[in-house]
Amino acid sequence: MKKLIFIFILLLSYSSQAATIGIGSKNFTEQAILGEIMAQLIEAKTKHKVKRRFFLGGTQFTFNAIQKGEIDIYPSYTGTAYIAILKNTKILPAEQTYNIVKHEYLKKYNLVWLNEFGFNNTYGFGVIQSDPLFQNVERLSQVRDFSQKLKFGAPHEFLERPDGYDALQKAYNLKFQDFVGLDPGLMYQALVDGQVNMISAFTTDGRIQKFKIKLLKDDLNFFPPYYAAPLIRKDTLEKHPELKPLLNSLQGKISDELMSQMNYSVDLNGQSIEDVAKWFLVDQGLIAGDASQSVLKQKMSSFWEYALSQKEYVFFLTLEHMSLVAVALLLAMIVGIPTGIFLTRFNALSTPIFAVVNTLQTIPSLALLGFLIPLLGIGKIPAIVALFLYALLPLVRNTYTGIKDISPNLIEVSKGIGLTGFQTLKHVELPLALPTIMAGIRISTVIMVGTATLAALIGAGGLGDPIFRGISSVNHQLILLGAIPSALLAILLDRLLLLVQKLVQKG
Amino acid sequence: MDFNLKISEGEVVALIGPSGCGKSTTLKMVNRLIDPTEGDILIHGESIRKKNTIELRRSLGYVVQSIGLMPHMTIAENVSLLARVQNFPKPLIKKRVDELLDLVQLDVKQVRNLYPKQLSGGQQQRVGLARALMNDPEILLMDEPFGALDPITKSQLHIEMQSLTKKLNKTILMVTHDMDEAFKLASRIVLMSEGRIVQAGTQKEFVESPKNDFVKEFLQSQLGGK
Repeated sequence: MKKLIFIFILLLSYSSQAATIGIGSKNFTEQAILGEIMAQLIEAKTKHKVKRRFFLGGTQFTFNAIQKGEIDIYPSYTGTAYIAILKNTKILPAEQTYNIVKHEYLKKYNLVWLNEFGFNNTYGFGVIQSDPLFQNVERLSQVRDFSQKLKFGAPHEFLERPDGYDALQKAYNLKFQDFVGLDPGLMYQALVDGQVNMISAFTTDGRIQKFKIKLLKDDLNFFPPYYAAPLIRKDTLEKHPELKPLLNSLQGKISDELMSQMNYSVDLNGQSIEDVAKWFLVDQGLIAGDASQSVLKQKMSSFWEYALSQKEYVFFLTLEHMSLVAVALLLAMIVGIPTGIFLTRFNALSTPIFAVVNTLQTIPSLALLGFLIPLLGIGKIPAIVALFLYALLPLVRNTYTGIKDISPNLIEVSKGIGLTGFQTLKHVELPLALPTIMAGIRISTVIMVGTATLAALIGAGGLGDPIFRGISSVNHQLILLGAIPSALLAILLDRLLLLVQKLVQKG
Repeated sequence: MDFNLKISEGEVVALIGPSGCGKSTTLKMVNRLIDPTEGDILIHGESIRKKNTIELRRSLGYVVQSIGLMPHMTIAENVSLLARVQNFPKPLIKKRVDELLDLVQLDVKQVRNLYPKQLSGGQQQRVGLARALMNDPEILLMDEPFGALDPITKSQLHIEMQSLTKKLNKTILMVTHDMDEAFKLASRIVLMSEGRIVQAGTQKEFVESPKNDFVKEFLQSQLGGK
C-alpha cells in the first residue's frame, strides 16, 4: 500500500501539467503496434492525452512530421536513421550505430533516441519456400548465378535510399531482371501470385509464416542493424521528463519472435492493434489487466458481424470524411465560382488561369500531399488544401463554360433592355449556367470523396484510415470497412446534389 | 457625312438593305450596344453619350427576334424582367404585365405561367414586344422583329402591328431585310449600303423615283414581279 501511494505521488508530481502527446508511426503494422504500446503506456501511467497519428507514410513523411512538431514521438529504426536520414554509408555494429544515431540526432535535429525495444527488424530476402529456383539456397550470395532471371519486389522507398536497390546489387554482384516498386502491404501478395520472385522482407513480419516464405540471409552484412527505439522531440522531453523513464521501461521487452508474433496477430489473425498492444503491456506487467486472453486465439468473424461491431468507428470516420469534403467543397465554391465568372469577363486571363488549374488537376494526389507536407505539415489542413485544389478545376471550368455557352443573343438582349452587368449575371447568366455549375459541384464532390481517402496517409483520418491499415496488413475486412462507406458516400452525395439541382432549377 | 438621319416624333422608320450594310449596327448604336467611332446621336436634342447608358436603354424599348426571350423565365417573368430589376411594386407589375399581354393579343390567363418554348413563334414575338413596352418608352427599337417567323404568321402580325402603332403612337426605328414589311409598317424607309444611306423616303418615292440602279435592283429583287 505504501508503495502504491508512493507511486501515486510520484505520478502526480510527474504529470503536474496534463498535455496532449502526439504519437505517430510509419505506414506498416509493426510501427502502429509500437506506437499503440507507447500510447497506452502513457495513457495508463500519466495524465497526458495521446493523439494517435499512425500509418503516416514512409520514413521521410514521418521524420518531417516529428521535426515540425506535428507528432512528438514515433518508433524509429537505427539503420533507417543511420543510412536514410544521416546519409552514412559505412555499416557498423549495432551498438556503435545506435550511439552515432543518438548523438547526431540530438545535435542536428533536437530529437532524442530512447532505449531500444530489443528486436532487430532488418531486411531479409523473402522467397516462396516451394520455389524450385531456391532449393538449397539459404544465403543471398548464392543467388548471384541466376539473379538475371529474378524479378525483385520492394517498397518504393527501397529504390531511393542509398542502402537500397542499387547498392544491394553492387554489393552482391547481382543483376536482377527487373525491379518492381510495391506498397509494403502488397509485396507478399505479389510474391505469392508470382509477379515477383523475391521481395525485401522485414525479419519480424508476421506474414512470413502465413505465406510460407523462406528468408535468405544477408550473409555479406549489407544491411545495417535496424533496432527499433522510441524517438522523441527534445522539447517534449524537457516539458515532460517523466516520459523518459516510462518509455525506457520498454527497453529490451520485445524480442524478434515477440514482435513477429504481434505482427502476425494483427496482420493475419484479425486482432486489433489496440488489443495486441494491451495484451503485451499486461503480459509484461507494465499495466494492470487480465493477461489470460491470448492474442492468437481470436477468429475472423464474417464481414457484416465485423462491420457491425465497428459501426461507431465507421460512423465517426464517415463524419470525419464528410467534414473534410464539405470544408474543401465550400472553400472551392467560394473561390472557384467567382473565378469562373471573373474569367468570362476577362477572357484574356482564361488561358493562363486554366493552364494553372488544369496543371493542379494533373498532379497525382499522393505527390500533391507530399508537396504540401513541408508547407503545411500533416493533418486536416493539408488534406483540405489538397482536396480544395482538386475541386477547383471542375468548378471554375463549369462556371466558365456554363456562362460562355449561353446564347450571345440573350446577353445582348439583357444589356439592350437595360440590365446592368450584375443584373444580367444574377437574372440571366447564373440561372442559365446553374445546371452546368451544379454538375461541376457534383463532379468535384465525387472526386473529393474518393481522393479524401488518401488524407489518411497524412494523418487527417477519414475513411482512408481503415483502407490503408487494411492494405498494409492484408486485412480485406478492414479495407472494405473504409471502401464501402466511401463508395456509398460518393453515390449518395451525387444523388443528393442532383436532387438539389432539380429543386433549385424549379424554385 | 456618310449617315445623317432625322426622325420626327411618332414616325415609323425602317432601315433596310443587304446583309452587312450596317442597318443593325446603326440600330445598336442608338441604345449604345455599339458605340460609334465618330459622329453622334441625339434624342430630344441631347447626345446619348451624355446620358447614363442603363437609363438610356431603359427609356428605349428593344425588340429582337423571338430567341431573345429568357428560356428559364415564364412569360410573365420575361415581360416583367426590367420592372422587377427596378423593384417596381409587385401588384403594379402584375397589372402592367396583364395589360401588355392583352395589348399584344395574347390570352393572359393561358400564357402567363408558360415558358417561351411552349409558345409558337408568333406568340413569342408578341411577348418580346410586350417586354419592350414594359417601361412605356417613347421610342421603340426593333431589330428584325419578325425575321424568324413563317410568312403567314408574319403577315398576320404585320396587320396587328399596323393597328398597334397607330394606337400606341410611338416613335419606332426598325431594322428589316424585307422591303414588303418595310412598306407595310414604316412611314419612311431608309435604304442602306455599305454604311451609307442610298435613298430615304416613302413607299411612293421609292416606287416612282428610285434614285439609282442599286435602288431599282434592290426593289426588284425584293418585290419580284409586283
